[in-house]
Amino acid sequence: MAVDWQLAAFLILSALEVAGSILVVTSKKLVHAAFWLAMTLVTIGGIYLILLSEFVFLIQILVYAGAVPVLFVFGIMLTRRKIMEEVTPPERTETATVPGKEGNP
Amino acid sequence: MAGFWVNMGPQHPMTHGLWNMRVKIDGETIVDAEPEIGYLHRGYEKIMEVREFQKNVVLTDRLCYVSSITWSHAYCLAVEKMMGIEVPPRGQWIRVVSLEIQRLASHLMWLAAFAPDLGLLTGLLWALRERELFLDLLQLLTGARMNQNFPRIGGVRNDLPPDFDKYCKKIVTHFRKKLDEYEALMHSSKIFLMRTQGVGRISAADAINWGVTGPNLRACGVDVDFRRKEPYETYDEVDFEPQVWRGGDGGDSYARFVCRFNEMRESCKILLEALAKTPKGPYRAKAPRRAEGEGFARTEDSRGEALFYVIGDGDDRPYRVKIRSPVFCTMAATPIMLRGNKMADVVAILGSVDVCVGEMDK
Amino acid sequence: MSGHLVAPNLFELCRVLIGGILGILSDAIKGAAPPGSPVEGLRGLGDAILAPWLIDLSAWLIAITIMVTWAAAVMLLTFMWIERKTYSRLQDRYGIMISVWSLPFWPFSWWAKRRNKPTHKGLGWLQNVADGVKLLQKENITPAKADSPMFHTAPVLIASSTILIFAALPFSEGFLIADVPLSLLFILAAFSLAPLGILIAGWASNNKYTLIGGMRAAAQLMAYEIPLLLAVIALLFYSGTLNVIDIVGAQEVALLTIGPLSIPAWNIFSIPQFLGFIVFFVAIIAEMERIPFDIPEAEAELVEGWLTEYSGMRFGLVFGFKWLRAIAGSALIVILYFGGWSGPVWYTANLSVGGAVVPIPIIPHEVWFLLKLVLLFLVFVWISWSVPRVRIDQILNIGWKRLIPLALLALILAAVFAAFAPLPAGIR
Repeated sequence: MAVDWQLAAFLILSALEVAGSILVVTSKKLVHAAFWLAMTLVTIGGIYLILLSEFVFLIQILVYAGAVPVLFVFGIMLTRRKIMEEVTPPERTETATVPGKEGNP
Repeated sequence: MAGFWVNMGPQHPMTHGLWNMRVKIDGETIVDAEPEIGYLHRGYEKIMEVREFQKNVVLTDRLCYVSSITWSHAYCLAVEKMMGIEVPPRGQWIRVVSLEIQRLASHLMWLAAFAPDLGLLTGLLWALRERELFLDLLQLLTGARMNQNFPRIGGVRNDLPPDFDKYCKKIVTHFRKKLDEYEALMHSSKIFLMRTQGVGRISAADAINWGVTGPNLRACGVDVDFRRKEPYETYDEVDFEPQVWRGGDGGDSYARFVCRFNEMRESCKILLEALAKTPKGPYRAKAPRRAEGEGFARTEDSRGEALFYVIGDGDDRPYRVKIRSPVFCTMAATPIMLRGNKMADVVAILGSVDVCVGEMDK
Repeated sequence: MSGHLVAPNLFELCRVLIGGILGILSDAIKGAAPPGSPVEGLRGLGDAILAPWLIDLSAWLIAITIMVTWAAAVMLLTFMWIERKTYSRLQDRYGIMISVWSLPFWPFSWWAKRRNKPTHKGLGWLQNVADGVKLLQKENITPAKADSPMFHTAPVLIASSTILIFAALPFSEGFLIADVPLSLLFILAAFSLAPLGILIAGWASNNKYTLIGGMRAAAQLMAYEIPLLLAVIALLFYSGTLNVIDIVGAQEVALLTIGPLSIPAWNIFSIPQFLGFIVFFVAIIAEMERIPFDIPEAEAELVEGWLTEYSGMRFGLVFGFKWLRAIAGSALIVILYFGGWSGPVWYTANLSVGGAVVPIPIIPHEVWFLLKLVLLFLVFVWISWSVPRVRIDQILNIGWKRLIPLALLALILAAVFAAFAPLPAGIR
């Protein structure tokens, strides 16, 4: 039973990444979205690792998991007044969470 | 952008004592402030009306429990003025000795509270270690470390114990070396200067208008020390210098810190001089039981001007006692000190102002 | 063995160990099932457990367990103890003094009772264990309106990223988990995962104060990562490699030999690297969130800052791992600037093990590393407990306006030195 570990790893990481990106777009809370974004980018880095580019993987972790989500969360926190209760109102039909849309409590 | 109100207290690790400071912050900057006091109000002025004159000394001790003798002494002065009795010289000198030891203990407690506010946790333990020495002196002199019930109407409770001046000299010599160590820890620390200079500034005019007294006022450059201005006891025969901030830009936390710190050195001087000059003789005059009249006494407490106004109506209890607490007036001036500073400075500013809630709330 | 005790590699050592154990087990199974017996099928099992993939897997698991236990249990507890004792002595008091006679089980309780031993006249190392046990048995309270998934995930992020550092951080040439070509970058990347966890922790607690604390912490950590990385880049001009083991190896050569003494070519002895060291030193104190840079956790205003709402072992993990990051930070400085684990080794009489003759080093590389680590950690503790806290805007001021220009200066100097004053061949 010869398992192609590269293919298996690639499939698992891609599945995680796709799931993460769907969760980014469908999360009701913005901070959750930022967290899933971090996970998505880390799994992309994992794919870089499968392709044997360790340097790019580590830089990806350093920048995209260490700095960019923090920047996003800062942006969210500094621009919203009631950060504790931001929820996209359920009667809207679009699935993207857009900050600053009126109608938010 | 509007600010929102933040409660610092009443349960807060670093507001010393039980009071609440509401600050309105806009981002990190303080826009307004409002102290809420009265959590420790015990109804002193009313209680003192139902106790005999001498028994009130037990209560006045607990007004500012960190600096008990100064408060009881102010009360005794007011009652003596009302009764028209004169304290014998030895009693007056012993009072000066006890007052200065108590002032040192109080300032050390302030230092022990101020240092950890800024993050210097080592300062807490060092200052308390030194305070233990002075509490030992007080125990030797009066029998208790705090809330000593020492001043009496007409003098003091007991005479100086034998060899007391030798102990004082030993402790003061040791303490002066420690003060140099503290200076190395605090005055020359760049971070300490960064945290306290220019922070919590109040102008001299504002301070006088709001009734700020004591080291807080002297830090603004105003030379008012009631031990010099209206000398009581034998302070006019003692050679000391009120610590006034003579630089240009006073009134900030650093100036308050330096003034109070240097007062400790002056207190050491006064202590040794008073011990040397104490004459022999009686230390207590007999006070009448009943009295009628008004007595008014103003003293330089560790925190400022403590004022007692006692009215007697011929009974053996006071008819009315009015207490003026320095911290009460300074607390009203704290919003001025706080406005414009950052939220991280609140504890630094309030620590430098030396709040004692007991006397503020009475 | 060239000076390190765990040789050639932690993994190899574990593999030998596991191979030995599995071999004994396999022989026992084969012995219990001789060829003619009814349970002959077990002989196949005896062969199967000697499969290479099983041995490798078990060896990896054992190696990882040893490393994590060493770092997060032994070293963490010991360094917490060192800090608590040191700052207590700075404060003129004895510090934690619990002794082994206070343990509530046999044989300690029995002997202590028999001999009337005092329970608090000891070293105090067990106090941290006691504190850990206390935290374990506390209730894990989740605040009412806290964002539960994020509230629970944040400590996981912080703790796991901190432990991840030790996957690539070596304690000597052999005492490591993995010798990856880019281990320095790996360590720095693992360091930089924490701000996200801290920010989420502060936000998810549904508390104005923890939010402020979390934002301050994230701002501080991100501000100080830049001079950290710039100083490392300045170092790269000299070392030319991001592999931690090669960086230390380059520092083992002698810079100057005076008679019997030789000064090794530690990176701190060169001018641009000394500047880089100063920058790195200040930046790592901020990354470790120690006083003078611990406003995010300032007790004076925000009780515990961003981790106020955590209780029980969640708090214990996050709070205790602050010391793990301190160990990792000190280890980084020792490796990058102070020659890592290099030091005179001195060999003792040889030991024959299984036919081979093996020299055992006295004062091996691990000991030198730990020695330097402890000394550097003591410097950090000393600084922490003698200075007040810096205000957050002053912290950010220092980070952005003072450290980054200094780091850039170190970078430029390093580039100039590397171009025009290259080190002699042999010293890289």
